[in-house]
Amino acid sequence: MSRASLPRACAAMLRRDLLLAWRRRGDLAMPVLYAVIVVVLFPFALGPDLALLQRIAGGVVLVTVLLAMLLALDAMFASDIEDGSLEQLVLAPQPLALMLGMKILAHWLATALPLVVIAPLLAGMLHLPTTAIPALLLALLLATPLLSLLGAVLVALTAGTRRSGMLLALMLLPLCVPVVIFAAGAVAAAQEGLPWFAPVAWLGAALILCVVLAPLACAAALRIALDA
Amino acid sequence: MTAATSVPLLEAHRLSFHRQDEPVFAPLDFRLNAGELALVEGDNGSGKTTLLRLLAGLLHASEGRLLWRGAPWQRDACAGEILFLGHQLGQKLELGPRENLVFATGLHGRRDDITVDAVLDEVGLAGYGDEPLRRLSAGQKKRAALARLLLQPAALWLLDEPYANLDRHGIALVNRLLERHVAAGGAVLVSSHGAVGFHGGEPQRIRMHA
Repeated sequence: MSRASLPRACAAMLRRDLLLAWRRRGDLAMPVLYAVIVVVLFPFALGPDLALLQRIAGGVVLVTVLLAMLLALDAMFASDIEDGSLEQLVLAPQPLALMLGMKILAHWLATALPLVVIAPLLAGMLHLPTTAIPALLLALLLATPLLSLLGAVLVALTAGTRRSGMLLALMLLPLCVPVVIFAAGAVAAAQEGLPWFAPVAWLGAALILCVVLAPLACAAALRIALDA
Repeated sequence: MTAATSVPLLEAHRLSFHRQDEPVFAPLDFRLNAGELALVEGDNGSGKTTLLRLLAGLLHASEGRLLWRGAPWQRDACAGEILFLGHQLGQKLELGPRENLVFATGLHGRRDDITVDAVLDEVGLAGYGDEPLRRLSAGQKKRAALARLLLQPAALWLLDEPYANLDRHGIALVNRLLERHVAAGGAVLVSSHGAVGFHGGEPQRIRMHA
């Protein structure tokens, strides 16, 4: 008999969730299409004024990516609660927080990473100068996992409530404010040719904090959700 | 019998669970030794599922004491020793029985003396190993979940209505699994309305009252 080692359990968790994401890949295309359509709407609404679009490009792409992430967020634990997988996860000998961390990672890889990948395309549609693209990508690479982690805590807290999608948005969007400020600050600074490392470093610091704390909070919240 | 094995696997003293200050079931006393099977009996709503979820560690007892191998129940002490199979089977419908099993063993550990193919064969799912569960019948989904009983090492099985949705052969399969587990020194707690038809001796009966 072999006990499940921690690395094996982490790998199994990651593998299963990525496999599930692949089997449901139709769902994964939604946030990407949503982001593309929203960004396309801006020039129609504001007119093809190059200077104006360039000025708002960074902010529009960031906010669009955040909103698109919100679409996929409330599904993070929903099916696991419904089919009893979460119970089995809680009963497993592995630390729940670590397993949930793996779930969040898989969710980020499946839903947020495609958005980061198409971000340069979205930015290009709004004529963001190519010099600002590295700052945008780095800011998104730090901001999207941050939102996945914050979102996971809120999803865990609202687990089991009906119509949690709207509640989730209302709770998460205020928490996004600092993330948007620092990410947009980095892009704006890069656009002006100024050093943009400081706001990105703030995002990095916040991400490290959340990587440690968010899975623990998630685990506590989901245990409470089951214990009722 | 040595001193170590004479300590009951699971022991409950005046165990009860309250939901919003209302007791779900009357206080319970029972002991379950290794190699024993206990039937949890009671009407609908008498708290059978609640009791099993409580013993698995998903709920916290409101009153009374619960001992695991003679020591107060603790999550870490019995993690990996208890296998809980509830109404929700904990299986992903997009994955096949084999993928679900491989994931479960990655999480809970596995026995080395049996292969996944042999397990699928035993539960009657040979040839359905890679078919997504979504396309299988309710009974076949149940069989896919029962396959975990064969593959995962656990001293205590907590089975909530293991006979639900199963045909005659499925019921015989559950009985065979129970008899084998008990003969190998494992313990089982089964909740069921129906006749069990278990041939490994007279089971202990735990009667639930709301």
